[in-house]
Amino acid sequence: MALHVPKAPGFAQMLKDGAKHYSGLEEAVYRNIRACKELSQTTRTAYGPNGMNKMVINHLEKLFVTNDAATILRELEVQHPAAKMIVMASHMQEQEVGDGTNFVLVFAGALLELAEELLRMGLSVSEVIEGYENACRKTLDIMSDCVCSSAKNLHDVKEATSLIRTAVMSKQYGNEDFLAGLIAQACVSIFPEAGSFNVDNVRVCKILGSGVTASTVLHGMVFKKEAEGDVTSVKDAKIAVFSCPFDCMVTETKGTVLINNAKELMDFSKGEEEMMEAQVKAIKDAGANLVVTGGKVADIALHYANKYKLMVVRLNSKWDLRRLCKTVGAVALPRMTAPTPDEMGHCDNVYLSEVGDTQVVIFKHEKEDGVISTVVIRGSTDNLMDDIERAIDDGVNSYKVLVRDKRLVPGAGAIEIELAKRITAYGESCPGLEQYAIKKFAEAFEAVPRSLAENSGVKGSELLSKMYSAHHEGNKNIGFDIEGEGPAVKDMLEAGILEPYLVKYWGVKLATNAAITVLRVDQIIMAKPAGGPKPPPQGKKDFDEDD
Amino acid sequence: MSNSIVGRNAGGKLLEGTAKMMPTPVILLKEGTDSSQGVPQLISNINACQVIAEAVRTTLGPRGMDKLMVDGRGKATISNDGATILKLLDVVHPAAKTLVDIARSQDAEVGDGTTSVTLLAAEFLKQLKSYVEEGLHPQTIIRAFRTATNLAVSKIKEIAVPVKKGDKQDQRQLLEKCAATALNSKLIAGQKDFFSKMVVDAVLSLDELLSLKMIGIKKVNGGALEDSHLVSGVAFKKTFSYAGFEMQPKRYNNLKIAMLNVELELKAEKDNAEVRVKSVEEYQAIVDAEWTILYDKLEKICQSGVKVVLSKLPIGDVATQYFADRDLFCAGRVQEEDLKRTMMACGGSIQTSVTGLTDNVLGRCELFEEVQVGGERFNFFKGCPKARTCTIILRGGAEQFTEETERSLHDAIMIVRRAIKNDSVVAGGGAIEMELSKYLRDYSRTIPGKQQLLIGAYAKALEIIPRQLCDNAGFDATNILNKLRAKHAQGGMWYGVDINNEDIADNLAACVWEPSIVKINALTSASEAACLILSVDETIKNPRSSMDGPPGGGRGRGRGRPHAH
Repeated sequence: MALHVPKAPGFAQMLKDGAKHYSGLEEAVYRNIRACKELSQTTRTAYGPNGMNKMVINHLEKLFVTNDAATILRELEVQHPAAKMIVMASHMQEQEVGDGTNFVLVFAGALLELAEELLRMGLSVSEVIEGYENACRKTLDIMSDCVCSSAKNLHDVKEATSLIRTAVMSKQYGNEDFLAGLIAQACVSIFPEAGSFNVDNVRVCKILGSGVTASTVLHGMVFKKEAEGDVTSVKDAKIAVFSCPFDCMVTETKGTVLINNAKELMDFSKGEEEMMEAQVKAIKDAGANLVVTGGKVADIALHYANKYKLMVVRLNSKWDLRRLCKTVGAVALPRMTAPTPDEMGHCDNVYLSEVGDTQVVIFKHEKEDGVISTVVIRGSTDNLMDDIERAIDDGVNSYKVLVRDKRLVPGAGAIEIELAKRITAYGESCPGLEQYAIKKFAEAFEAVPRSLAENSGVKGSELLSKMYSAHHEGNKNIGFDIEGEGPAVKDMLEAGILEPYLVKYWGVKLATNAAITVLRVDQIIMAKPAGGPKPPPQGKKDFDEDD
Repeated sequence: MSNSIVGRNAGGKLLEGTAKMMPTPVILLKEGTDSSQGVPQLISNINACQVIAEAVRTTLGPRGMDKLMVDGRGKATISNDGATILKLLDVVHPAAKTLVDIARSQDAEVGDGTTSVTLLAAEFLKQLKSYVEEGLHPQTIIRAFRTATNLAVSKIKEIAVPVKKGDKQDQRQLLEKCAATALNSKLIAGQKDFFSKMVVDAVLSLDELLSLKMIGIKKVNGGALEDSHLVSGVAFKKTFSYAGFEMQPKRYNNLKIAMLNVELELKAEKDNAEVRVKSVEEYQAIVDAEWTILYDKLEKICQSGVKVVLSKLPIGDVATQYFADRDLFCAGRVQEEDLKRTMMACGGSIQTSVTGLTDNVLGRCELFEEVQVGGERFNFFKGCPKARTCTIILRGGAEQFTEETERSLHDAIMIVRRAIKNDSVVAGGGAIEMELSKYLRDYSRTIPGKQQLLIGAYAKALEIIPRQLCDNAGFDATNILNKLRAKHAQGGMWYGVDINNEDIADNLAACVWEPSIVKINALTSASEAACLILSVDETIKNPRSSMDGPPGGGRGRGRGRPHAH
């Protein structure tokens, strides 16, 4: 804009030197589609239980080994603007339901791929979009018909396990029963009879060593910290939480202690010591026997804490401190004052323990329903544990989704084929040109069982024909049997492979929206990138953010 | 419209070149992103792991060789501990790093068997390579491996020989044997009897928690290995001392100890304090006051009746002379760890102030003395009432040698600790691996399908341990393995390699024992690592972000600067 060159005609001339401009089907739409396709191809092989892991090394040289689409995309740093939209859709899915991110990618990729065919056939973009929108609306309508069962009692660990199992299966195939059990235990224990379920209340603590099957669930919290003082275990702990350092107060204003004569000098340090002792004593007298602090622990303060048999634990993360407050029901005090009984938290057992060769401080609640539960993950490599953490995240999120909506749909491609069947039928009843688009929309659903099959080394078309024939006979819960030889099918309701309704609902919705947005673009105008050094990549992460 | 500028920052990398040049590749990711995928990628990962395993292969077993490594700063390390070697190798290959990780994990969990675990993982991958090349789906392999591992682990649990905890004598014997097996493969194998006794004594003197920190290992160059000894109590090197130190007595009986975190020196009381004086007298008074504060502290210490004063912080020459005059011993700048151990041994607690030196915060012990050990002087605290700690004084020639000895003892100590916590053992020397191999092979024959081949491969991979033991000792591995297979088929469950006679022997009877937990952990870690590597089919490497982009490019990305227009 700034450098307006009015002389010559033409669009490019109107822009600053160096800007680029593309328009039309060939230049913009097809290229966008191709970019999105390429992206979905990458994550497609990671879909389902038999999906493969990807090793991603991000710009900080940290290694991720995962098949979690959300993580792969986050670390990939996708640059293409159209592909970014798909990534965004997947992020929305992650935030909305926390699972099914890969579904969004695969489905959106398939939609765009088929849209290209339609466009090449001669349909206009708007017709394709209209058809997709119609089909999407219809899909969401009929999806509720496909619900095959619903969760009965989410407080039952056994039932919860079987529900979470499907989500975990796609991440940690082979360990799903064990992990789902752990997650269910953790979730159920923090899900109050009345009230809401908070994902944040299931914590994960990763400790290197041993194997995955040595992982456990604990009611309470686990910190990879050592106790500061000599006291290493407290039963029936009364906890005083300080968000400030466990030290005497320091003035913010720069001040100098002015000493006028020898006596003042001599009394000075003595006075300081006495003050500290009084403070620590006050805390002890208030009934506390455990001090948790968010800052440094001064030597002298620790000395008196030892003297008064106070256990001292230091937590560096403000988040940890806040969570701990919630777990034990304490109020974090911003300065070193004696807490009132209300402000103190309570925990049945706090002790220092050794897991592998890592020292951990465990805050344990004896009774079953704590506010926070922690899954202690063991594993032989850091990457493995990270991946298990992601699987646990997905599992916990599925549980959360189920708390919101108990309906379940059959997994393993069963619902997709059912939807494809019905949408095709619906498309045929439409008179206009959008009929083609609607039918392609239905076809896009096939991408899901197809990737499942291809990832397991089975021919997709063979499986699809088998599944279609089963669905036409009215068995709407028939899906791909991943354990069978070749293109085997089985009833997913009986096999217990069920997915929350909401995951699919949002997945379809977000994927369609993203695909439509990408299709709508017919011009790309890019300004010349400003010179000068590159700004630092993204905003720096809050150092407090621990995940 | 024609330009050759390539967009560079966010959202930039859309199209490259002119629009009229038809199929230019769509650039999806940041420039410089490196990605590779498919089966070749998997194979290359497997190869990388093999290379890593090569590095530690020859260190396995009693006849294993040591490695000499020189790090970036020219520091030489001699070791045959797998974890140590891999740590020093500084591996950057993402897949190979996994192997380093499992060695670390084994080190953390059980402390020994780090070479075995790396070797096993690499061998698993090696056996599977051909299947992957043939196009078998990795997930099928992974599933088979998980089954095999579970079977193997439950088999170990089933056949492990439990040891009665009640019988102290029995337990001690078991522990000594475990320690001896661990030390067998180390540099100090010649002195294994000597050291295994020492290690067991050391660990048994600890309390329930068996905290590793409570065993101090002090190295003193010079002397023979046999001069090493165990001090049931605390010992640490004489600290830096000031004038007057030599006048202090070096030996006390039945004494009290003050452990301080106080600086006994003339110093500023507060950093940001300022003194304003108006006259010379006042100035003198301030100077006197500073001395008085110090003398006050010293006097309080003296009055408490202690004979030995230890402090984490420096003890100055004034204090040193003061104590010398009053028949006290002092040591400043004591390592925190040492001070903590003294506290654990002698009781009392570390004091940050000298105001409350009452009897209950003071430590006690029967004998304190300073003794010359080799070229160093050591402070010994013996006969401690709580004595839940001990110190091993290591002697030996070269520095690298004592360092390796320390690592070996660490391994042995860890093994003994594990053996105390989990009291069942299996026979070492490849015996348990051969037994598992046979068990899995038999099992594989009872199942149909691909799983049969894969579990068979797992069984074959287990044989790497006895095979490598033979190779390292210079035996004919094929020959020995044949004998072992035959023996195991006939039910000789505990037959393993007999290193001394180039033959096979019942290693349970020969007292080559290892805690079963070591093997269980090694198998789980190795197969977890193998599965992890197998499950990867694509590596995507983002360019490393640094302050000013990749080298050579000047600013920006080095490409796509506007050409002459």
